[in-house]
Amino acid sequence: MHAIELEHVCKSFGPVQAVDGLTVHVPPGCVYGFLGPNGAGKTTTLRMIMDIIRPDRGEIRLFGEPASSSVRSRVGYMPEERGLYRKMTVSAVLRYFGLLKGMTAEQLGRQVPAWLKRIDLAEHSRKKVEELSRGMHQKLQFAATVINDPELVILDEPFSGLDPVNQDLLREIIDGMREEGRTVLFSTHVMHEAERLCDFIVLINKGAVVVDGTLDEIRAGHESRTVSVELEGDGAFLRRLPLVAAVKPDGRRLDVTLQEGADPQDLLKALVERARVRAFEIKQPSLHEIFVRLVGGAHVEDR
Amino acid sequence: MWKIGRVAQREFLDTVKTKTFLLSLLSIPVLVVAIILLSRKMITSEAGPRPPVRVGVTSSSEEMFARIAAAFAAHNESHPQSPLALRPLPADGNEPSPQETGKEKLRQGGLDVYVVLEGDLEGKDGTLYFYTYQTKASQLDALGTVERVLRDAVIDRRYQARGIDRAVFQEIQSVPIRRIELGQEQGHEKEQSRGQQAVRMMVPFAFMYLIFIGIVGMGQHMISSIIEEKNSRIVEMLLSVVSPFQLMAGKILGLAGVGLAVMVLWGVAAYGAATRQGIEIDISTDLLVFGLLYYILGFVLFSALLAGVGSICNTIKETQSLMMPIMMVFIIPMIAWPALARDPNGDLARVLSYVPPATPMIMVLRLASSPDIWWGEIALSFLVLAGGVLVAIWAAGKIFRTGILMYGKRPGPREVLRWLREK
Repeated sequence: MHAIELEHVCKSFGPVQAVDGLTVHVPPGCVYGFLGPNGAGKTTTLRMIMDIIRPDRGEIRLFGEPASSSVRSRVGYMPEERGLYRKMTVSAVLRYFGLLKGMTAEQLGRQVPAWLKRIDLAEHSRKKVEELSRGMHQKLQFAATVINDPELVILDEPFSGLDPVNQDLLREIIDGMREEGRTVLFSTHVMHEAERLCDFIVLINKGAVVVDGTLDEIRAGHESRTVSVELEGDGAFLRRLPLVAAVKPDGRRLDVTLQEGADPQDLLKALVERARVRAFEIKQPSLHEIFVRLVGGAHVEDR
Repeated sequence: MWKIGRVAQREFLDTVKTKTFLLSLLSIPVLVVAIILLSRKMITSEAGPRPPVRVGVTSSSEEMFARIAAAFAAHNESHPQSPLALRPLPADGNEPSPQETGKEKLRQGGLDVYVVLEGDLEGKDGTLYFYTYQTKASQLDALGTVERVLRDAVIDRRYQARGIDRAVFQEIQSVPIRRIELGQEQGHEKEQSRGQQAVRMMVPFAFMYLIFIGIVGMGQHMISSIIEEKNSRIVEMLLSVVSPFQLMAGKILGLAGVGLAVMVLWGVAAYGAATRQGIEIDISTDLLVFGLLYYILGFVLFSALLAGVGSICNTIKETQSLMMPIMMVFIIPMIAWPALARDPNGDLARVLSYVPPATPMIMVLRLASSPDIWWGEIALSFLVLAGGVLVAIWAAGKIFRTGILMYGKRPGPREVLRWLREK
């Protein structure tokens, strides 16, 4: 059973088709990255998963049950728009969301201080929300999202607005959740965050899936054409090789981009014949490159 | 269902705990008591004698003038704090005419008021002319006194001229009246003062006013609470936990509770104050029970409308133009109440009883003014009101669901209608 299933989900706002036949399956117990450029339909999709807005067509199930059912109490959702009651105290906010999620007073008495300690807000627990800094505010909102230990956590752009220290803290917490067997789905347009954290990734653009799978699967589908080499002596001859498209110096090394369809093995052969090879590395394509290649390409085709 | 309760609880506590709420809760009774105490103090102890009001009088009749002089002297003796000063301006003398002299004196500030007795005042023709120039508001009550004293003097002179003893006439006119209201049991009788009757007239209004404050005053809190949640973007977080309907219902119930608490506090305070002043107010339990039901239904109706309005606006300012037409319906009973209280079963009262937003106020007013309204009318008004409540909740629920997540431009009426048609 999947934690989240989206089947051919469509949603339009007037003339704008925000989500266009999206099908995504999120397996339980993994960290799932929801990537895409601005306006790709990420937030709309997450809102539909949380039944905040309803799809025009298609089906959404959480743990095999419809999204509008009581199953939502097993899900924690942090929207991209940050906001909490400004006049409430930090601990009152956590208590209120805990109560709304059906926690008992006894559970609250345990969980609220524990989370405040975990996100370094214990000494601010009696302050009003409006007195907090932006980063603290965001951490508090995260704690309110997960106060009831939900099985599935959905985070919309969780890293935006956090300083590096707090980004590390959040990353640690997400890693911990994976170890506890919870499912985490988060959206981002910062690729290296996804690369570091995610087991699975889906890349969407214009409301439809561009590519999805594990990081390795996605990389396998997009073999890099870049090879990093280090040679003894002059490497000027590289440019004249028929299988080389471009050469870019990278410190002591050279980044060699191959022609389409060329085998890096052939390059190695050619190098060995002409010079001593100190290093030869087929570069893994970064998610960033894949992203730009896929989305950028789609943009070009459009015109 | 329990989620509605949690939302309502927070809404109630958060509203009650704000300083502005406590201020508004206390300020009105404090203000009322302060005004009563102050005005009483003003009447009983004045700071000292006021400067005399200078009254110029021109009278062609010697006897009449003597009468007036006597009346002024009598007044000054009984009211040493507000003396009147008589300045005779003789009627004879030709150039310039005495009237012009008097008016000129008035303009120059030598007089505060100039009175001319013209024609045959001892008979039945003749008129008293009161001339004033740039009258100050502080002199208005003094001028009233002057009028009264002079009129009294003229009447006195008329008795004298006709040879009638005024004391005899007063004896004839005096017929004592006592108003006694019978209680349920034998021997249960209550004397009623004039004030008591005024109170009888005021009680229906007071009830209606409590309903008005309870509904409309709380409406302001509704709007600001929705706008706050929308602007602080907390609403999406809430909607992931509760449904839009639960959120709206919780808000309405929470604020209805606040309104009820305010009404009970003020009602008890007013009742207590009236009883301490020796004014008895009977309120039947029927009225209280019906009043409570009308209030709750009316509040739900009004705040559902406001929830709809609030959800499509981004600032309090934007809501005001949309609130106007809704407020109008609530203002009508406030303006028309004397007519309604006098004729609680008249056509106007009957028709307004079935205009849902106005129903609670009108029906409470009618019930308080005349207890014998046919039960069928009460039942029908409840049905109409309940129907209105259902329609309002249905429409507001749809608008709230979509509007609460919209930022930026306010949607037009056509777009809102489209939301209503959506499944």
